[in-house]
Amino acid sequence: MNIETHQALHIDECGELSWTQLVELSGLAEEELRELVDDGALGPVAPEAPSWSFHARSVLVARTAGRLRRELDLDAHALAVVMRFLARIEALEAELRALRAGALTRR
Amino acid sequence: MKYKDYYAILGVDRAAGADDIKKAYRKLARKYHPDVSKEPNAEEKFKEMAEAYETLKDAEKRAAYDRLGRHDPGQEFQPPPDWGQQFGGAQGAFDDIDLADLFAGLTGRHRQGGPRASAFTSGRDYEAAVRLTFDQAFHGTEIELDLSVLEADAQGGLRRVPRRIHVRIPKGVSDGQQLRIPGKGGKGTEGGRDGDLYLDIVVEAHPWYRVSGQDIYLDLPLAPWEAVLGTTVSLPTPAGTVSLKVPPGTRAGQQLRLAGRGLARAGATAGNLHAIVQIVVPSVVDERERALFKQLADASNFNPRAHFEREAVHEH
Repeated sequence: MNIETHQALHIDECGELSWTQLVELSGLAEEELRELVDDGALGPVAPEAPSWSFHARSVLVARTAGRLRRELDLDAHALAVVMRFLARIEALEAELRALRAGALTRR
Repeated sequence: MKYKDYYAILGVDRAAGADDIKKAYRKLARKYHPDVSKEPNAEEKFKEMAEAYETLKDAEKRAAYDRLGRHDPGQEFQPPPDWGQQFGGAQGAFDDIDLADLFAGLTGRHRQGGPRASAFTSGRDYEAAVRLTFDQAFHGTEIELDLSVLEADAQGGLRRVPRRIHVRIPKGVSDGQQLRIPGKGGKGTEGGRDGDLYLDIVVEAHPWYRVSGQDIYLDLPLAPWEAVLGTTVSLPTPAGTVSLKVPPGTRAGQQLRLAGRGLARAGATAGNLHAIVQIVVPSVVDERERALFKQLADASNFNPRAHFEREAVHEH
């Protein structure tokens, strides 16, 4: 068994993604992904640009969306709603972590 | 390979229509999806039904599955000799793979306009959990990962093979974060891209340090006289012990900040370390200490509850 060494990368070190790459990485159909952009779950770096590119972090959102779309068999609208809830949960968890750590103590 | 009864897993009849299959799956998914379920073994059960649904929801994969014949769950079997050709999937030996691998191989082949027009498939993304100590996460580390990956041999047969890879984890990772190793997932076939390997990072809790974003927090207990008079303490930081000057008149809850002593990623500004002051008192004092405290109490006109009294005046 040969052993290879690989560098694991922070997600945001992975560079920007094109629309095509994001579609491929998420496993979603273009219309489904477009719905997520319309809904604000995914934000292109420059929405007015002729071709969209996305921050590397978007890959996590796109992958989660693809997984939930498949696993829960959601339609595009329900998926957008679930993604909004997940973003909210993530923000609350970050706030909870900060509270537990002591970052946000009472004045 | 071992047979799995996808119909039985979803609890539907073999003649069930697409709508019934969808309904059955949705009902089970609501009950067992690991994000919402409290059932024991939810994840395992969910994986099983997701696998069953992935195949049965697709008319073509369902036909391919039906052509495997009926066997008892867990029974060893081989696909019929012409199965691979008929469904355009992998051909040759099917020894070391499972049923899910077999159907994953069919993805997108026929759908994209003719069996050979666009035969490439992207490699699958792999995901692995990595557990790190706080120190490993702070300083970065190297780990070995054992994966079980699907590979095609020269004859186009599919096999599961063990693969060990050595991974360098960068410094400054935190709990719940994902790291990516591009191209280290499943191999793409006929020009399809290789999948990626994602690492789900779990960082063990540390007895002193708590992390929020790039910043680290720890409690700094001080004796009352240290807080009043000020002092210099030896503070353990993840990068080594430092001397921290505590100014006179330091209050409980106050944060003493050490810039750049938080989580540090290569090429980025490091976070800060915050020592949160706690004032602690000895639970046992000897005669002399008690006498000194008494002396202090008599001499001091400090009133820590002055604001209560001011409030009380406003109310009247």
